[in-house]
Amino acid sequence: MDRNIGIALACLLLLITLSGITVLGQPEDRPVPDATRTPCSDCHVCQTPTRSEPCLSKCLRTGVTSTPAHSATEGPDMAMLDELEQLYGPVRFDHKHHAEMVGMGEGCSICHHYSPAGKFPPCAECHGEEPAGPPNLRQPGLKGAFHRQCMGCHREWSHDTKCVVCHLPHEGSAFSAAPHDSTDIVGIPHPEITVPDVKVWVTPHEEAPTVTLHHQDHIDLYGLRCVDCHQQENCSYCHDLDKELRLGKTDEEIHAICNDCHLNDPCGKCHDTGQKPGFSHASVGWPLNKYHEKLGCRSCHPTGRKIARLNRECAACHGGWNQANFNHVRVGLQLDEIHVELECTDCHPGKAFDKMPDCSGCHDDGRTHEDAPPGEYVRSLSLH
Amino acid sequence: MSIKRREFLKITTAAATAALATSSAAKGMESFTGWPDRYGMLTDTTLCIGANCRRCEEACKKANDRPMDGLDLNDNSVFERTRRTDPNSYTVVNRFPNPRDPETPIYVKKQCMHCNEPACASACLVAAFTKTKEGPVIYNKDVCIGCRYCMMACPFYVPTYDYFDAFAPQVRKCTMCYDRIKEGKIPACADVCPKEAITFGKRSDLITLAREKIRHNPERYHPYLYGESEVGGTGWLYLAGTDFTNIGFSNNLGNTPYPELTRGFLSVVPLVLTIWPVLFTGFYKFTQSREAAKTESDADTGERDTRWQR
Repeated sequence: MDRNIGIALACLLLLITLSGITVLGQPEDRPVPDATRTPCSDCHVCQTPTRSEPCLSKCLRTGVTSTPAHSATEGPDMAMLDELEQLYGPVRFDHKHHAEMVGMGEGCSICHHYSPAGKFPPCAECHGEEPAGPPNLRQPGLKGAFHRQCMGCHREWSHDTKCVVCHLPHEGSAFSAAPHDSTDIVGIPHPEITVPDVKVWVTPHEEAPTVTLHHQDHIDLYGLRCVDCHQQENCSYCHDLDKELRLGKTDEEIHAICNDCHLNDPCGKCHDTGQKPGFSHASVGWPLNKYHEKLGCRSCHPTGRKIARLNRECAACHGGWNQANFNHVRVGLQLDEIHVELECTDCHPGKAFDKMPDCSGCHDDGRTHEDAPPGEYVRSLSLH
Repeated sequence: MSIKRREFLKITTAAATAALATSSAAKGMESFTGWPDRYGMLTDTTLCIGANCRRCEEACKKANDRPMDGLDLNDNSVFERTRRTDPNSYTVVNRFPNPRDPETPIYVKKQCMHCNEPACASACLVAAFTKTKEGPVIYNKDVCIGCRYCMMACPFYVPTYDYFDAFAPQVRKCTMCYDRIKEGKIPACADVCPKEAITFGKRSDLITLAREKIRHNPERYHPYLYGESEVGGTGWLYLAGTDFTNIGFSNNLGNTPYPELTRGFLSVVPLVLTIWPVLFTGFYKFTQSREAAKTESDADTGERDTRWQR
């Protein structure tokens, strides 16, 4: 009997020991942090920002450039960056030609990313001389800011990261300047890049060689942004110093871009025997009036690429109109003195402007607007 | 008769209590998630210049008083192989091909990761490594016995050893410039980096900053912050424009702090070492005495029988 108790207790002890090992060997799962929400403190420095006092952080990195586009000639031709002159002499920065170059891309804001009041503040106003560290990690120091602006493009363009590419060496310094390279695009004005209205290619395709690109329609009507097609087309895309100047794209590259949207279209969508006309809404049996003609497709077809559902509710766009601010003559009917005073919904119940107006709200005699017009027709009525 | 049943029960109860106490002590260690305001570093590999730069390597050598011989910053042939840290270079910059853009390789600075719960400190027999409350993991050469277990324990292969120093060899690795931090300065590499690809700050702030960067530039960054959770979190964090396995980081280290993998086992070692000898000696004595008693009783059964009957 005693022996049995002893064995039982020994087993118990072993169990305790082993369970200790098992429990401690299995750590709890750690929660995965959520990185999708933008904290208010990213932009606002106070607890409760309001519309009148948004208390935006003094120096923001993104999305704050409100300055309208400048031309390259407005800025200085040459800027001497000599605030941090130590190992090297000042950097001679050819501002004018850099400005011309960025004119083809994102504009001045690519470097002057913060310009709240129409004036570019000096870089040193936000970027101090010391490198970023506690407590302010978001603004690199002046040295870091300069190098970040320059090295990103220069690395892609020339693949040369030597200091003397930009920095002038001091007199008698051990560093020697890089010899001037005639292929250096700084100092050579770039020919103006035009935005074509229509672009026509003649391809080697035998049956239907001509491809017409209605470039402007893709921007205005189809609402594409430049970067949707011109992906990664920065300076170094054409001017890579290790390669030949790159002008134009290969057939494969062009097809890849168009196929982003036209993948399921037949070849004849683009290729034809002659120049194709641009899209006209009349070709689908519904000519648009001069006002709606200017709208992008998505204004009425909000689902985007699949033109399926039409938003027929005029009020979806024109909800802001009322009896006071709508000029009824625009639809071809000059309302008489009585009717001009009425609310829109008195004749168009439920703001259903695409349906016939309803006179029964006031008149019991079953009249329609055709029998007894509420004013004078200046032209035949068209609902669209 | 050497041990009574009552005494045996006493011993086993005490042992069970001790076992529970040890377990709860080990549990208590797990709940410590690190000093709240500890510092960390964030390396943004999309910013690193790499070629012709390596200013961080130079500054690191200066700050740690390491020999500068053979350091030619304009010699880009060093990138032809992937280097490891060595006793004279606490940090090295390596080059990896960029899958997005073959023309612009990715440069990655490697150094001690300053884990939240360092495996080196856990493996050290003499506690020569300390995770300081400021964040750096530092080394005390005065107590080190040179076993180099730390080098084997490190999941990032960072600590190195003065193999060529016959008299006073040390384990050497990045200290996150602990001395400079104490003086109120920032680590030398972060100070010198021309693009500020290395940022020094409170670890929690750096995580916020890194997430902001990812959120504001989704096309630039691979949406992952390396070091946030690896091996229980590291003090050094990395951002990259590509998957981290492409730039020399391991993605199979797990999120469990390495010390935790052994803590359960190690916490019961003292228990086993102290209790089991006593316990099993007890068993032995107990059963032996019963055997002796049985033999004795077999010898004089008649006498005992009469005694019982009485």
